Amino acid sequence: MTSSAPAAKPNAPVNVKLLLIGNSSVGKSSLLLRFSDEQWLPEDESSATIGVDFRVHKMDIKGKKVKLSIWDTAGQERFRTITSSYYRGAQGVILVYDVSNRETFDALPRWFSELETYVSDAVVRIVVGNKVDKEFSRQVTFTEGQQFATRMNCLFVEASAKTAVGVRDAFQEVVSKILDTPELWQPVTSGNKTGIAGAGKSAAAATMQSNQTMPGSVNLHEGAEEESAGGCMC
Amino acid sequence: MPSELPYAADAEESLTYDELQVLKIQYEKELAQSHVTVQTTFNYAWGLVKSPVKDHQVEGVRLLGELYRNEPTRRRECLYYLALGHYKLANYEQARRFNTLLLDKEPTNLQAQSLASLIDKKVTQEGYIGMAIAGGVAAVGTLILASIIRRAHK
Repeated sequence: MTSSAPAAKPNAPVNVKLLLIGNSSVGKSSLLLRFSDEQWLPEDESSATIGVDFRVHKMDIKGKKVKLSIWDTAGQERFRTITSSYYRGAQGVILVYDVSNRETFDALPRWFSELETYVSDAVVRIVVGNKVDKEFSRQVTFTEGQQFATRMNCLFVEASAKTAVGVRDAFQEVVSKILDTPELWQPVTSGNKTGIAGAGKSAAAATMQSNQTMPGSVNLHEGAEEESAGGCMC
Repeated sequence: MPSELPYAADAEESLTYDELQVLKIQYEKELAQSHVTVQTTFNYAWGLVKSPVKDHQVEGVRLLGELYRNEPTRRRECLYYLALGHYKLANYEQARRFNTLLLDKEPTNLQAQSLASLIDKKVTQEGYIGMAIAGGVAAVGTLILASIIRRAHK
């Protein structure tokens, strides 16, 4: 059954890499667990992600088979440098905040500037306001979230990993927009580079912005490719 | 549909040469100033453990061991990456020891659960390979013995 050229087969799955980012405790892992396993862990049973977690999930959308690789990054400040290495090759980014915690919403611009540093403009972005089940302690209104997303020119969904509301929509909207952007996933005619190759920001751009990133973090991409033709640096 | 588990992303993916260089240079710079921060050490150790090069993995595990002893606030991530490092080095007993320490503290930690089943899988696999080798040795031994006996009879 294995084919040597899956790209040539019309029903071969499209590989899509998604990234979950946002402050710690906003529910990135919970959204993923709800989406992929239809499960939910109460707060006292869930633990902060160490570095990164990863899941593969297959779905059918718009008549296409899609194989999602979802990278669930740690939100804690101490992992900021290392999580930046996972941005490479992402076609979609899910930025999560907690509607019952304004601080996590106010942190979004910083996350967007990280994205500007590490991923191309074509990469699909969605802002997800999680924990709408905590309506009684809501600190960020739907309108505020939506207006922010519009200003950043990206998609917006409110969701709850606990009740499952909006979770599937969030993932489906990103994937659907990615499928509408063939340059993100269609293989380039010759060679083994996919459409995403070269879509990343240049190293120079990354270095320029390196001083604006979070405190205590090192820009992993600085110096990278500065000697463009790389090879042996000894 | 449940997702495909187990998987440890950090065990599969390594950094580029340049990325690891950035972490190394930062570490060595601070080392030269004889003030290495915990963050820098952790970042470099993490990069080393992810590397496919065995010497890197060994050095990463060494740095993580130091951090684990000296920095109580970094214990959980050190335990996880110590387990991962030993797993990559095929020291499955050590890997299991560190991962179990993490699971004792956080029994519902999905990453640790996933790593535990990866370790178990490897141990089982190695067990089979061991048996196959032992079986192979026994078979060859039998053949040799048989040929010696046959020759002796001639």
